[in-house]
Amino acid sequence: MYKFIVFLPLIGFLITALWGRKIGERTSQLLTSSLVSVSAVLSWMAFVDVAFGHNQYSIHVLSWVTSGTLEFNWAFRIDTLTAVMLVVVNSVSALVHWYSMGYMHEDPDTPRFFSYLSLFTFAMLMLVTADNLVQMFFGWEGVGLASYLLIGFWFKKPSANAAAIKAFVVNRVGDFGFSLGIFAVFVLFGTVNFADIFANAGNYQEAKLVFLGQEYHALTVICLLLFVGAMGKSAQLGLHTWLPDAMEGPTPVSALIHAATMVTAGVFLVARFSPVFQYAPDALAVVTVVGAATAFFAATVGLVQNDIKRVIAYSTCSQLGYMFFALGVSAYGAAIFHLFTHAFFKALLFLGAGAVIHTMHHEQDMRKMGGVRKFAPLTFIFMTIGTLALTGFPFTAGFYSKDMILEAAYASHSFGSSFAYVLGVAAAFMTSFYSWRLAFMTFTGECRADEETQHHAHESPWIMLFPLAVLSVGAIAAGFVFAEYFVGHEREAFWNGSLVTFAGDVLDEAHHVSGAAKWAPTVMMVLGFLLAFQMYVRRTDIPAKVAETWDGLYAFLLNKWYFDELYNFLFVRPAFWLGRVFWKRGDEQTIDGFGPNGVSSAVAAIAARARKLQSGYVYHYAFAMIIGLALAITWFMAQSPAGTH
Amino acid sequence: MQSLLMQYLPILIFLGIAIGLSVVFVAAAWLIARQNPDSEKLSAYECGFEAFEDARHQFDVRFYLVAILFIIFDLEVAFLFPWAVTLGKIGVFGFWSMMAFLGVLTIGFIYEWKKGALEWE
Amino acid sequence: MTADLPSFAPALPEIVLALGAMALLMLGVFRSGKAYTQVSTLTVFLFILVGVLLVAYVGGERSVTFSGLFVTDSFAIFSKILVLVGSGVALMMSSRYMADHGIDRFEYPVLIALATLGMMIMISANNLLSLYVGLELQSLALYVLAAIHRNRNRATEAGLKYFVLGALSSGMLLYGISLIYGFTGTISFDLLADSVKTGEHAGIGVIVGMVFLIAGFAFKISAVPFHMWTPDVYEGAPTPVTAFFAAAPKVAALAMFVRAMFGAFGELVTEWQQVVIFISIASMIVGAVIAIVQTNIKRLMAYSSIGHVGYALVGLAAGTEAGVEALLVYIAIYMTMTLGSFAAILSMRRNGQMVEEIGDLAGLSQTNLPLAIGIAIFMFSLAGIPMLAGFFGKWVVFWAAVEAGLTPLAIVGLLASVISCFYYIRIVKVMFFDEPAGNFDADKGRAIPLVIGVSAVLHSPVSFLLISPLIAAAAWAAKSLIY
Repeated sequence: MYKFIVFLPLIGFLITALWGRKIGERTSQLLTSSLVSVSAVLSWMAFVDVAFGHNQYSIHVLSWVTSGTLEFNWAFRIDTLTAVMLVVVNSVSALVHWYSMGYMHEDPDTPRFFSYLSLFTFAMLMLVTADNLVQMFFGWEGVGLASYLLIGFWFKKPSANAAAIKAFVVNRVGDFGFSLGIFAVFVLFGTVNFADIFANAGNYQEAKLVFLGQEYHALTVICLLLFVGAMGKSAQLGLHTWLPDAMEGPTPVSALIHAATMVTAGVFLVARFSPVFQYAPDALAVVTVVGAATAFFAATVGLVQNDIKRVIAYSTCSQLGYMFFALGVSAYGAAIFHLFTHAFFKALLFLGAGAVIHTMHHEQDMRKMGGVRKFAPLTFIFMTIGTLALTGFPFTAGFYSKDMILEAAYASHSFGSSFAYVLGVAAAFMTSFYSWRLAFMTFTGECRADEETQHHAHESPWIMLFPLAVLSVGAIAAGFVFAEYFVGHEREAFWNGSLVTFAGDVLDEAHHVSGAAKWAPTVMMVLGFLLAFQMYVRRTDIPAKVAETWDGLYAFLLNKWYFDELYNFLFVRPAFWLGRVFWKRGDEQTIDGFGPNGVSSAVAAIAARARKLQSGYVYHYAFAMIIGLALAITWFMAQSPAGTH
Repeated sequence: MQSLLMQYLPILIFLGIAIGLSVVFVAAAWLIARQNPDSEKLSAYECGFEAFEDARHQFDVRFYLVAILFIIFDLEVAFLFPWAVTLGKIGVFGFWSMMAFLGVLTIGFIYEWKKGALEWE
Repeated sequence: MTADLPSFAPALPEIVLALGAMALLMLGVFRSGKAYTQVSTLTVFLFILVGVLLVAYVGGERSVTFSGLFVTDSFAIFSKILVLVGSGVALMMSSRYMADHGIDRFEYPVLIALATLGMMIMISANNLLSLYVGLELQSLALYVLAAIHRNRNRATEAGLKYFVLGALSSGMLLYGISLIYGFTGTISFDLLADSVKTGEHAGIGVIVGMVFLIAGFAFKISAVPFHMWTPDVYEGAPTPVTAFFAAAPKVAALAMFVRAMFGAFGELVTEWQQVVIFISIASMIVGAVIAIVQTNIKRLMAYSSIGHVGYALVGLAAGTEAGVEALLVYIAIYMTMTLGSFAAILSMRRNGQMVEEIGDLAGLSQTNLPLAIGIAIFMFSLAGIPMLAGFFGKWVVFWAAVEAGLTPLAIVGLLASVISCFYYIRIVKVMFFDEPAGNFDADKGRAIPLVIGVSAVLHSPVSFLLISPLIAAAAWAAKSLIY
């Protein structure tokens, strides 16, 4: 069964990728969608079996590499954590497949699109079923590649290209950390298998890694390196810049990859490594602080965005921050619970936004919307459900998971937890505000679109509304149905050792926090709603005034805290500059542009020398060879005392 | 180090003597002989011909070709002498080694012949 | 008298190849006129025959012959098979290009056969003398090949440059050999190993000689700082010749390098490790950085090959059996990637003219999707993106380095591979996202699409299944070196 779950999407991908044009658009759509749907149904069965039947499996697929001490097999590790991820990935993926049939029906390249979707699903399944780090890394890179292909799906759009490349490059930075982490794990543990690593983590509590003559606490180093990888994939503060730009891809892609599944891979990684992180409190503190900062930062930026998808993208970024600081305070169950519920309501919001965009004829700017409720009443209802769940309206999914995270942060005593609580509550307020702002700007009031668009505006077809309906059910029910198992008293039996859980841990304490702390997020939610209602329904002239009065702050937020500009200045430009310095034909104009000071003349000299090196003259080449040889010999001569032989 | 260099001492002595003798010869000719130059004596002498232009001028590339081909067979002969001298000691393997070598050279020779490298026009 | 005949059996494949090459030369010269196709086909068959002999007749058992000048073992078999594949495939890809440019002379396949013979001798050399003879046989053939398009200025310039610098490197090599002989009194690998082991002569003189030797090797594998000829020669030489240069000779020279280091100077590992680490790092960085600004795809491939030699040397720098194994895996993967990439470059033909600017690939995905996908696979594989074969190669070498305690080296390598991603992915971007620059002509022959197809499949995630046998074969080969 588990092999079917993982390989059905692969089969779908292969068939549509190879023969997509031959078998026709309709067939390839139906084929991939059905295969993934079958996977989804099987995943739910697996979930029941593993999580409630308390089973664990390790399924051997292929002996892969056996080389000296390096040995790993291709195997699936199926425990509750994996089962939860299987359910999330396959369910959302199946719904997105069906939805895309409606959304993409005008596009001439649908077989390609569906094959990419299936490829992504397969890679994501590889990632979550991995039983060793190397296999996980493969899935990790696979989802990165699929995401790159899907962001750049509309490759005729230059902005989509730029976004795809940006996503790829930023993710490489994270992957660099991740691969170093894998090396470090191997150096320390001598294995990359999860089972062995987790069993031995306790033995290496005091181990030190020596690097460049410095000693470091080994587990902290490993956890931090892995966390860098997680930051890249999950768009945490510092490496988050690619996520909003990734919205250039088709909306179903945003829903699947950039909301529900791929971006949560980082959370999954940290949760998977919870037995190791548990021994590295310093690393956990870093996770807490980064997560909380991201939650707050992304929420502030979300307040002022005008593109409907970007608002939701920043919201995703912010919710991922919540998950991370939950991990940081050791509330692993709460983090995965939020991941689970978030997948439903955020996919719902994205797909709903897609439906709105569809209705408004590919308009994404909320300033040109308004009154969409008239055209698409069902979409409006579904989006409202999603918004309620996201803001944590009582008894919806977000209410259970987000509040649990904040309570855990409040109850925890680890470093940074109170910081996280304060920022988290503030972010909850902003979440409520920007979510309702989005809802009001889009659905209420007068329509601000032009006549032509209004004339054509229409409700989306049923094939797009059906997935919305399913997700709405999830967004409402996922919370109260599963809360008891994920974070409540049943959790030890439920997780069955796949996460670190023990009686009296932070989640237990979280159930006993004071009433004020418990209700603070809900109060914030109501306040945010009221403020948004005031500003965008009753007195629609306020926003412009506020923006005018606080123009500095507004520009700061609108430009996303100037992160892109900063990175452009710090990394992008130097990188291009370095390339030019080494350029044979040296772009002197750029270098002259720096002005005639000491630095620029030194740079010019280096450029000139580099250019001269590859001059085309044989004697220069010979000279370089002789110099290299002379250096090597001098090196040895200097090393050994003269005259010994 | 000392002993190693000592082994090269004869070469050094030989070099010294050679340089010394040549200096003596040139110097003696310059100091003792009568010097009475005229234009005929100073002009280049070329196998009885009048020197009518500069000796350094372009000539046909085929000379090079012939020279290169010559060197190959020159070396072949240079190999043959020591081989012939030691033939008694190197045995049948030595004999066939040289045959193989000559065979390879012959293949090359046939190639260049057929390619027309030996034809002047 | 017959008792002193040495055993010819271990060298039978080489002997067959030598006789075959000469026979083909005669065939070509007597069938004056258009003998190219015939000789070329027969050469490929000759390679296949030699390969079969290697596997079936010689086998992986270590045996030494010709008074210790020549050795064959599993390491030699592995490398020679790679060399034969590289040469054969390069030859198969050449026909169309050679015919179009009027250089379809029958000497071309014969020279490739002779170069291959030289490489096989290099791989099997167990003595500095036979090493030098093999190296020169290979190099002389390569010099001529570089300039085979002799009425084109770029090609003759490339040939001349290669010749002059190659002579210089041979000089360094010979000087190193003479130093080693002077200080130890032997040039046989086995005796050298003994001599170094007893420590009698392992002084600075031997080390300096070894450094000269390494410099000579580094030139042949185009490692920094002995790489300067590579871009010019790669760009100037006819493309099929460049493909050949980038594949088989690299393998042979690396194999020779490894055997010399382990066979003769195994005890001096700490000394040569330092040099190898240096040239490895320098190659990786130079290859990654300078390639960023190249616009000519052949030049880009030149820098790419410099970088890849750097990665392969990481395996040698490890100085362990696992390192050699990793190096062998790496060069096997590298060779197939390179051949595939050059096959793709050879199909860049527009209106009957070869084009070789990166810009000419623009929008290829819209005009010729299969080719674009093939090139994309090669580029991703060269960049070392996981799921593709190139990743495995990098993975095993870095792993070997980490195991040998050279973690900083592995980190530098990782960094360099991140930088190099940039230009590989730029090509993919140009192909998939830019406006089409126009159609390429259709390929007439079958060879080039076949090579592209096969190596693309080998490098696609199918490599999952192939990596295990490859590693097993490399392990089998590496085992014979360390004893």
